[in-house]
Amino acid sequence: MTAVPEPNPRPIQRAVIAVNGATSDERIVRVACGLARPSNAELIAVHVVEIGWSLPLDADVAGRSEEAQRVLDLVEGVAETERIKIETVLLQARDVGAAIVDEASEQGADLLILGLPYRKRFGGDFAIGQTVPYVLKNAPCAVMVVREPMIEESPA
Amino acid sequence: MRVERPHSPYFRYTGPGQMVAKEAASRPRTPVGRAAARVRAVVFGRPLASEEEIGERLPKRKALAIFSSDAISSSAYATEEILKVLIGVVSLGAIAYSVGVSIAIALLLAVVSVSYRQVCRAYPSGGGAYVVARENLSQLTGLVAAAGLLIDYVMTVSVSTAAAIEQIQSIWPAVYDYRIEIAFLSISLITIGNLRGLRESGNIFAIPTYLFVGLALAMVGLGLFHIATGTVTPIVQTDVFIPKATETLGLFLLLKAFAGGSVALTGVEAIANGVPAFKPPEARNAANTLSIMAVLLGILFVGITVIAHAYQVVPTQPGGSSVVALVASAVFGEGSVLVPAFAVSTALILFLAANTSFNAFPRLAAILAEDGFMPRQFSFRGDRLAYSWGIILLAGVAFALLFIFGGDTHALIPLYSVGVFVCFTLSQVGMVKHWYAVREVGWHWRAALNAFGAVLTAVVMVVVVTVKFVDGAWLVVVLIPGLVSIMLFIHRQYAASRAQLAVQPDFVMSVPKREERVVVPVPGINRAVVQAINVGRSISDDVRAVYISADPLETARMRDQWERQVPGVSLVLVESPYRALVGPLVAYLDVLDRAWPPDKPAPVTFVVIPEYVARHWWERILYNQSAKRLRTTLLGRPHTVVVNAPYRREEVQGADRGDSGSAAGDAAAGGPVVGQRADGTGASGAS
Repeated sequence: MTAVPEPNPRPIQRAVIAVNGATSDERIVRVACGLARPSNAELIAVHVVEIGWSLPLDADVAGRSEEAQRVLDLVEGVAETERIKIETVLLQARDVGAAIVDEASEQGADLLILGLPYRKRFGGDFAIGQTVPYVLKNAPCAVMVVREPMIEESPA
Repeated sequence: MRVERPHSPYFRYTGPGQMVAKEAASRPRTPVGRAAARVRAVVFGRPLASEEEIGERLPKRKALAIFSSDAISSSAYATEEILKVLIGVVSLGAIAYSVGVSIAIALLLAVVSVSYRQVCRAYPSGGGAYVVARENLSQLTGLVAAAGLLIDYVMTVSVSTAAAIEQIQSIWPAVYDYRIEIAFLSISLITIGNLRGLRESGNIFAIPTYLFVGLALAMVGLGLFHIATGTVTPIVQTDVFIPKATETLGLFLLLKAFAGGSVALTGVEAIANGVPAFKPPEARNAANTLSIMAVLLGILFVGITVIAHAYQVVPTQPGGSSVVALVASAVFGEGSVLVPAFAVSTALILFLAANTSFNAFPRLAAILAEDGFMPRQFSFRGDRLAYSWGIILLAGVAFALLFIFGGDTHALIPLYSVGVFVCFTLSQVGMVKHWYAVREVGWHWRAALNAFGAVLTAVVMVVVVTVKFVDGAWLVVVLIPGLVSIMLFIHRQYAASRAQLAVQPDFVMSVPKREERVVVPVPGINRAVVQAINVGRSISDDVRAVYISADPLETARMRDQWERQVPGVSLVLVESPYRALVGPLVAYLDVLDRAWPPDKPAPVTFVVIPEYVARHWWERILYNQSAKRLRTTLLGRPHTVVVNAPYRREEVQGADRGDSGSAAGDAAAGGPVVGQRADGTGASGAS
């Protein structure tokens, strides 16, 4: 019988956290802070504002959006309470998934963390959306998806 | 595509339209400001955010150390105060009365502490004498109590510091010559520590307090053992204190000794003021801690007095050993290591007692400021969450007192007890009214207890004022009404300004209906003037420049230049043969007002003052002196708004490069003076 080798992953050096203003943001930032603490890893929070095809990509949308700024400011506040430094990046892109993957590559991240709300489609199936599968398929680094807990359905 | 977040270094959004400023937003922007901030950070520490405040709840053993250092430490000088009165008595054996006097004071302490236990229970949110008197009696009595407390806190710092230095000089007499310098140094250190936000919860308090209590209890125990076993050998003193005059023993002298020794009661109220700092159940823990403190203080005070009498210890000349140090030396034996150890622990607890005032005084000042009885600055917290104004005022006044009284504890003490007993009395009377109003179970006996305490402390207050009046108590009798008058005056000022500034709840702001006009005083034509004219044009179409000169030729030249270079803006030329600038301008504004049709509402006059802002602070004294005088003169003038139009030196270079994005660019773009020299003497019209 051969011994199973102990997994000995390299400590994280730089992690990109994709945030979207959902309730899962705080949870994934705290998870990321916990992972970053032992190795003093760099954390980069990315929020992508999707620009429809009716507008030019450089249209002044995200810069004027207080909501977009607030998403990243909230993340910054959570990291501050965890006493971990975090960099924030605001992006405008045609496709959220592609922008997150590009940013992770550009930053040379070794971990990409995403939050996933627990949602169901009309048919009752779990809805994973488009961004998470895209990132899982294309990200150059390890990907961690933190799904929110199931919401207990109250009897009608 | 990456999007810039310009607000991010300075602000953080917390809700729609709501931001929180980060530390960087308050960071100084000038080199001088940054250097000052660096020095401040080294001395006082980095600025703290409001949420960094530590709200630690204290267990009883820690609370005892923190709140009782003031009270317990008074046992170090109370006996001496009794003996200094009795030593002046002609009859032999008068010193023996010191024991009786100390027991009477201990009984008073018992009554006061039992009364204050009631305050702890009734005011779990902190029942300072000010709060109790304000809520149950009247605002005025509250202010009297507050004035008494403020004086008490100042005196605590002065007396404790002086007494601490006396302890050091007991083991190192050379210190006497440097007592003022040492007092300054110690008060400065405590001030810096408190401005840094020194937390009272630290063990810094526990160690010296328990060291003093341990050594003092050991000393009292050993001394009483010596007395019981008859092994007491009276000490021989050479430098005995000689009073100015000898008197015959009588009631007055005994009362005077009682008044002197009653200084032992100072600081008893500290626990009642700090109930919220205790662990739950706050009120019960505070009340029990108060009892322990009173028992400890009583044992130490009476014990030290009994032993001092047994060993025939009497006060020494100024600069000599303190009574408590002599008692320690007699009990532990000369040469014992415990003697200097006790002196050091006494000095430490006395320094800490001074520190308790640094917590209480600024807080009380902040409450008074919030109630509008002290300047508002006292309620503002500094970089380190400390009430900096209160701390600095306390340190300044306490040191001034020490300096004036030559660092002599005995000289300061007559001022001390009066304020304390005023607070005790008002607080107890307030409590009687409180129990009568709430009428909860057992209110009868509770009210009776507080009434007894009130009567007793009132009697002592009268005694203290009477017997110490000439020695300095008169100062407090004058100071309390003086402080109350000042506080009432401040309150009236704030109330008047509040009434003037008040906006009715049903008021809805509409578009302004009054006409506006702009007057720009000009010293010539230069970039700063052009910018000011443009600012004026953005306010109103009715813009006129006023040029005041003593030289008729210069006036004529200015007219030509103005018409050529600033068309469309009327220029009023005022010749001032008396060479005044500000007066003629103000007179011109008066004339404008008088010329306004009386049936129309008076217009708002904007006086736009062009100012040249130099790059360096030392350059700035060369410019804008007339502008400053004008601004000061116009301050408070009805219907007049003064607008500064600053023109910065850096912008000159920007404008020269054609940097139209800057304010200078606006000025340049505004007109025909491009290329004009800043002093307005050049004339290179481009139009």
